[in-house]
Amino acid sequence: MDTGIQPAGYDSIITFLEGTLPFSDLDRPSLIRIARHCLVDFFPAGTRILRRGVTEVDGLYLIQKGAIRLFHEDEGVLVDIRTDGASLGALSLFNGEKAALDAETVEDTFVIKIPRERFFEATHLNPSISRFYLKSFADTFLSKAFEEMRCKPAAQHEDHDLHVFSNPVGGLISREPVSVPFGLSIQAAAREMIRQNTGSLLFREPSGEICGIITDTDLRKAMALGLDLQAPAETIMSTPVESVDASAVCFDALLTMMSRNIHHLVVRSHGKVQGVVSSHDIMLLQGRSPMSVFREIASRTTIAGLYPLHDSITPVIRTLVQQGAKAGNITRMIAILNDQIISRLLELMLGELGPPPVRFCLLLMGSEGRREQTFATDQDNALIIDNCGVDFLERAAETYFSAFTERMVGHLINCGFPRCPGDMMASNPAWRGTLNTWKGRVETWVAAPEPQRVLASSVFFDFRGVYGHKDLSENLRQHVTSACAGKDLFLRYLAADCLNARPPLTFFKNFMVEKDGAHRNTLDIKARGLLPFMDFARVMALYHGIRETGTLTRLDLLHQAGHLSRDLYHEAREAFEFLLHARLMHQLEQMEAGKKPDNRIDPASLSALEKRTLREAFGVISALHGVLRETFRLNMG
Amino acid sequence: MPFSAIDRLLRVLGRGPGTSNLPALDENNRLCRALDQNRPLSDCVFTVLDTELTGLSARKEEIVSVGAVRVRGLAIIPGESFSALVRPNIPLPKFSTLIHRITPEAIAEAPPLHEVLPGLVEFCKGTLIVGHHIGLDMAFINRACRRNHGAALANPCLDTMRMAMLWREQRSPSHYERFSLNISYVLADLAEEFKLPRFTAHDALGDALQTAYLFIYLAKKIARNTPLTLKELFRAGQSWRWYM
Repeated sequence: MDTGIQPAGYDSIITFLEGTLPFSDLDRPSLIRIARHCLVDFFPAGTRILRRGVTEVDGLYLIQKGAIRLFHEDEGVLVDIRTDGASLGALSLFNGEKAALDAETVEDTFVIKIPRERFFEATHLNPSISRFYLKSFADTFLSKAFEEMRCKPAAQHEDHDLHVFSNPVGGLISREPVSVPFGLSIQAAAREMIRQNTGSLLFREPSGEICGIITDTDLRKAMALGLDLQAPAETIMSTPVESVDASAVCFDALLTMMSRNIHHLVVRSHGKVQGVVSSHDIMLLQGRSPMSVFREIASRTTIAGLYPLHDSITPVIRTLVQQGAKAGNITRMIAILNDQIISRLLELMLGELGPPPVRFCLLLMGSEGRREQTFATDQDNALIIDNCGVDFLERAAETYFSAFTERMVGHLINCGFPRCPGDMMASNPAWRGTLNTWKGRVETWVAAPEPQRVLASSVFFDFRGVYGHKDLSENLRQHVTSACAGKDLFLRYLAADCLNARPPLTFFKNFMVEKDGAHRNTLDIKARGLLPFMDFARVMALYHGIRETGTLTRLDLLHQAGHLSRDLYHEAREAFEFLLHARLMHQLEQMEAGKKPDNRIDPASLSALEKRTLREAFGVISALHGVLRETFRLNMG
Repeated sequence: MPFSAIDRLLRVLGRGPGTSNLPALDENNRLCRALDQNRPLSDCVFTVLDTELTGLSARKEEIVSVGAVRVRGLAIIPGESFSALVRPNIPLPKFSTLIHRITPEAIAEAPPLHEVLPGLVEFCKGTLIVGHHIGLDMAFINRACRRNHGAALANPCLDTMRMAMLWREQRSPSHYERFSLNISYVLADLAEEFKLPRFTAHDALGDALQTAYLFIYLAKKIARNTPLTLKELFRAGQSWRWYM
C-alpha cells in the first residue's frame, strides 16, 4: 500500500511524537521510521510496570495518556509522577541495566512503546535524542526526593569510573618501595612500617631480589595468634610476592587482588620493583574520596601548596552527590575540609611568623559558622585575642595580629575564599579584639538595637571557633547566651526583621523573580529561600538560649525543647534541606561548567516536581513567621 | 470479479461450502476454524476494523472506506494498518458525506470494492476481527465477499459495544444504570467516558484506532489482571454475537 497517499495507522503516533520532546525536533522521515515500529499498550490503574533491579527494560515508554508513579519500593520514597508526554526507561536503556526504579500506573494509562532497537537506531541517527535524555539527567537537580540522583550518570563524569579501565598501575605509584633486608624481628618490622608511614613492607634478599611482603593484616594476625614479637618476621611474611607489570591497567591489578584475596601487589617495570599498590589506592581512583583530600591537606608543607586544594573539593562533592548524600551532610563535609585548609594555613603561618604574644582564637561567622557553606562562600572571619591586661603586651598583640590577619586574608583569597564585600574579616580592626572588647560589643548590640547593628550582629551570632584556643570562643558564646536572655527588645527587633523577608511567591503561588537587570527571571535562592530559615533558627536559638550554630541543629534542638511542633519541624527541616540541595546542585553545575558560582536559579529550568517542591518549601516560611509572631508577640505592633 | 451464476450453481452442487475463488480467503477460513478458544487473549492476533458507509442498510447501501489496525499481545501495532477508500456503485448521498467528510470527488479515483477486498482479506487472515457494532460492518464485507468470491469470512468477531456493556455491568452491578437513558454506547462517547486518547471520528482508520484503544482498554479491564481466554470472554457476555 502506498503510504504516501493513504493514511496509515502510525500517523497518530507521528502526531504524538511531533508534540513530544525530544522527538519534536526530528524530520518526518525519522519520525516515520520510529512510528512504524511503535506499540501502544494499556495498563489499568495500579499495574506494576517496572520492578527496580528486576524488570528488563525493552523499550522507551512514552505516556500517551495517564499517569505513572516512580518510586523506591524498599525505601518507600516517591520519586516522581509522570504524566502525558513524559517518558520512562531512557536511563536504563542507555545504561543497559535493569529498571532503576519501581513504576506503577496511578491512572489508566496508555503507553507508546518504542522498541529498544528502534530507539537506539533513532539515537544513532539523531544524536539530539540522546543529548536530550543525558542532559535532562545531568541538569535536573539530583535532589528529586534525594533518591533518584543515585542512578543518574552525570554525563561528563562517566570517565571517573573508566579510570580503572584505562589508567596503568604504574601511575598510582607515588613513592619508592620500602624494603628491608631479611632477619628483622616482627616488632622491628612494625617499627619500620610506622617510621616509613606505610601499610606494607618488602623484604629483600642480599642479592636485592624482593622475596616477601608483610602488611598491616599480617601484623594483626601475628597479634591475634600471640606470636612472640621477637620472632623473625619471616614467620608471618607472605612469599612469593604477587606482582603486576606497571603497564597493566588498574582493573587487571584489581582482578589479581580479588582472585588471590590479597590487598597489595608489587609493581614491576622491566623486572625492577617500582613500588607497591594497594586495593585502597585503586578504589580511590573510582571517585575522589573525601579522605584523600583530607590527607592531601595534612601533607602540604608550604602555604602555596594549599592554594589549589580548594578546587579538589568539587570532585569530592560530586562523588558524594552520586552516592546519595544529603545536602546537610555535604555542606558539613565542605565545612570540615575548609576548616582543615584554614587550620593548616594558620599552622604554617605561625611557623613562618613565629608564635603570637598572647593566646587567640579565629572565629568563622555566617555560613561558615553554621557549617552551611557551599561553593560561593566569601570570608567571614573574626579574631578573639585573650585579655592580657598589660599595656605593652596589648600593643604587641595588636601589631602582631594586624600583620598576621592581613596575610591570612591574602592567603585565603589565594585558596579560593573571596574577600568579604562587607569587610567582615579579621583584618578589619572592628572584627578583631580582646575577649573583653568583644563582650562589650555584644552588650552594645543587644542593648540598643539599630538597623546597622542588627545586620552586623546577625552574621556574627553564628560564630564558631575554628583555630586557636577554642575556650575563648566558648567563653564568648557563653556571654552571648546570657546577654541575650531577657533582652526582649533586641530579639523582637531581630524577629521583626525576619518578617520583612516574605516568601517569593505571588498571590497565585507562582515564583516571584527579578523583573529586570542582569538577573532577570531568576530567583535568588539564598536571599529569598534559605535566609528566612536561617534567620528564624538564629533568633529562636538566641531566645531559647541554644548555643549551636547550624540551622538544622538549631531546629532540631528547638523541636526537642518543645518550641517547635513536630510537623512544622519536619517540614522546615525538609524544606531547608531541599533548598540547600538545590543551591548546592546549582553551584556544582556552574563550577563544572567553569562559571563563577552564584545563588540565582531560573525557575523555568526546573522540572514540574522541583517547582512544586520549591513552592512548598517557600510555603513553610509563612508558617515559621507565624511562630515568630506568636513567640515575640509581634501581632500587636 | 463477480461470481457467475454457473459458479454459484457449481458450488451448490459439488465443490462444497466455504471454498471460494480466492486462495487467501480459503486459507483464512481454514485458519479460523482451527482457532483454539482456550488461549488467552494476549496470545491472539486481532484485526480491529471499521467501515464508512453510504447509509445504514446492508441490503441497499455500500462501503466507501475501510480502515483496520492490528492488535497483538493486547497491544496496538499502529505500524500494521490497512486503509482504503472505495468507489461505491451507487451515488454518494449528501447526508453521508456530511458524516464522514468523504466527497464524491475524493472517491472518483478510488478502486471499486472488489479490488480492495483481496487486500483486506489478506490483512485479516487468521485473526479475530474486532469492531464497534461489528455486525454491521461484517454484513457489508461478507456480502461483498460472497458476491465476489463465493464465501464469507469465517473469522470470529468481537464487538466492543458488547464488551462495553459487559464492563459497565461488572463495574456497577446496580440494575438501574443499565436502563438509564443517559448511557450512550456511541464510540466517541465511550472514548470520552473512559478517558481514552481521541482520534478523528467517522474516518475509517481513525475509528478503527479508536476502537482498538477501546478494545485493549476493555479487554484488560474485564480481565482484571488475570489472563482471560476467548472462551471466558464469550461466556461472560452471554449474548455475544458470533458471525461465522
